[in-house]
Amino acid sequence: MRKFLVRTIPIAALALFIVVMLSNSFLKGPITKNDDVKKSIEKVIENINEDQWEEADKNTDHLSKVWKKVSHRVQFSAEKDEIEDFTTNIARLRGAIHTKDKPNAIMELYEAYEHWMDIGK
Amino acid sequence: MNEGLVVFVRAVIGFFSLLIFARILGKEQISQLTFFDYVLGITIGSIAATLTTDLTSRAWSHWVGLITWTALGFLMEYMCMKWRYFAKYIEGEPTIIIMNGKILENALRKMEFRVSDVMILLRSKDVFDISEVDFAIIEPNGQLSVLKKPEYETVKAKDLNIKNPASGISTEIIYDGILIEENLRQLKKDKKWLMDQLKKKGIHSVSEVFLATLNKGGTLYIDKYEDHIQKPLDIGDYKGPF
Repeated sequence: MRKFLVRTIPIAALALFIVVMLSNSFLKGPITKNDDVKKSIEKVIENINEDQWEEADKNTDHLSKVWKKVSHRVQFSAEKDEIEDFTTNIARLRGAIHTKDKPNAIMELYEAYEHWMDIGK
Repeated sequence: MNEGLVVFVRAVIGFFSLLIFARILGKEQISQLTFFDYVLGITIGSIAATLTTDLTSRAWSHWVGLITWTALGFLMEYMCMKWRYFAKYIEGEPTIIIMNGKILENALRKMEFRVSDVMILLRSKDVFDISEVDFAIIEPNGQLSVLKKPEYETVKAKDLNIKNPASGISTEIIYDGILIEENLRQLKKDKKWLMDQLKKKGIHSVSEVFLATLNKGGTLYIDKYEDHIQKPLDIGDYKGPF
């Protein structure tokens, strides 16, 4: 019993903390069908490259939903700035799509992609 | 991002990590700490605080810093324990500053101590006259150890050839009105003996007693809930809100 209290509990606690702090590696996903951020970004890039603005708008909504879901999962192991910057990229992307500004939309998407890759790194 | 929730989770991680690491680093009291131990403690605490509230960087990087500082602290402690030469190098050694009643000025200078600092430390050891001191040593943790001249030493029972019965450590046998039978058994007494002792003091039930302790010499201390003190002595030196 003493050994359990003195050794097992602290080791288990530290192991749990490490798992929480590094949880981004498995919580970044995709875990379900509808939470693949990388794929969602690639889809919007594809839409914009092919000038499918309505489709791009729809897929941005989807990207935003997916991001919301995933950001809740990775918030314990990610930097606040990366999360906020990604959210800002989506907001700017909406503006660029609204004005059909292809260069800016692509720029925002690639920046968002970079933030996504950096989350939890 | 729910900042409150993230800070809460990070605080839990920081708090319990700090608790575990502090236990690993040992049980030294503040008074026993060397200057380096003190700085080490502050640094580790500061890293844990940053881990909790600095959301601009990942908790993991702070935690790695925390565990590295702890590991290095532990390594130093371990090496000091196993290797005396290293211990002297890291922690320093006691320095005699008064020898045979004479102040060693060079030693004082080396330790960067003024005579007034020594006087303060002497007074904290209840020595108000430096002529009473035979030896004074500054320990690695900055405290002063004093050996008084034989004529100023306190008389002890042994000097007067008086034999005092050993009193031993007192053990709680009743706390908050509850009898601790295990402790009673350890002292080789039984409930009947205790009740007889309580009756002698006019107590009829264990529940009337707040605290009862017994030492190996057989001295029983009893404190009842009813103290029959109307107004406790006021030891405050100035009017306050309480």
